[in-house]
Amino acid sequence: MAGNEQQPQNQAVKHRHRTEGPQKHVVVFILSIVLTAIAFAAVAAGDVNPVFTIILLLVMAVIQVFVQMGYWMHLKDKGHLMPIIFMIGGFFVASTAIVMAIYWVWW
Amino acid sequence: MTSAHAEHVNGELPHEPEKATLEGRNKTLGFWLFLGGEAVLFGTLFATFLALRNSNNDGPTAAELFSLPITAIATAILLVSSLTSVFAIQAMHRHNLQSLKTWLIVTVVLGLGFLGLEIYEFYEYVVHESFGLTTSAFSSAFYTLVGFHGAHVAFGVVWISLLIAQLYRKGLTVVTAPKVYVSAMYWHFIDVVWVFIFSVVYLLGKVG
Repeated sequence: MAGNEQQPQNQAVKHRHRTEGPQKHVVVFILSIVLTAIAFAAVAAGDVNPVFTIILLLVMAVIQVFVQMGYWMHLKDKGHLMPIIFMIGGFFVASTAIVMAIYWVWW
Repeated sequence: MTSAHAEHVNGELPHEPEKATLEGRNKTLGFWLFLGGEAVLFGTLFATFLALRNSNNDGPTAAELFSLPITAIATAILLVSSLTSVFAIQAMHRHNLQSLKTWLIVTVVLGLGFLGLEIYEFYEYVVHESFGLTTSAFSSAFYTLVGFHGAHVAFGVVWISLLIAQLYRKGLTVVTAPKVYVSAMYWHFIDVVWVFIFSVVYLLGKVG
């Protein structure tokens, strides 16, 4: 921890941390807009097969959520194992509730 | 982390100030646990809605009520606000306090725009369509799910506004940075929940 030790360390840090640009996030934003537009267009078109439309809506939503959580919430970055476990746990319980509620009421 | 620590000792803010202290890192980790719980909360509300969405009790149906243009505008507003909060965090990593505050203000304004649109939508339903909270099982499930999301947006608007005020008073430090980072995560999560709401509630409602 001597003073002359810290100087080169700081410079190394500055070189290593190049600030990331906005490009990646703008790409995620445009992708989100496109996925949303596909979902809206499928519904606005009207006379598409309803089962196909429902599957399309769910697929578009899941892709968009994965991309946004991966890039905007940094889940794809290093050191996010516990957050991923927390979120998978949350989604697991949530999907159990959804499957059971639909099962009980409709069948 | 030792290098980030050394920077801080020299009175210089580290590159990612939200990760510089153990308290900051724990705050982020704890917030993820909270978001996992939020996923369960919204999951059960979605489950209720999906089970009851066709029980309209002779009241208005989803296909009669919902308007695609209003949903599209609300979606666009929330999606842009998610991008502006990404820009806020990038400004924070560049240590650009002015830019950070500006992007957070833009995010709050967009959040208010979304809330205004939702209040207008609910007002139209209640006053002109006779679609109140107790009209049908569908209406109760709809207002509970979408209203809970709206309440989250309102909470986020208040929270981020207070953080902006704190940034004006205290500036960007290793204490304020984790708060801003966590609030941006919350805002993204609200956007993620809205993706499911516009898909499952509004678009699916239009399909039938």
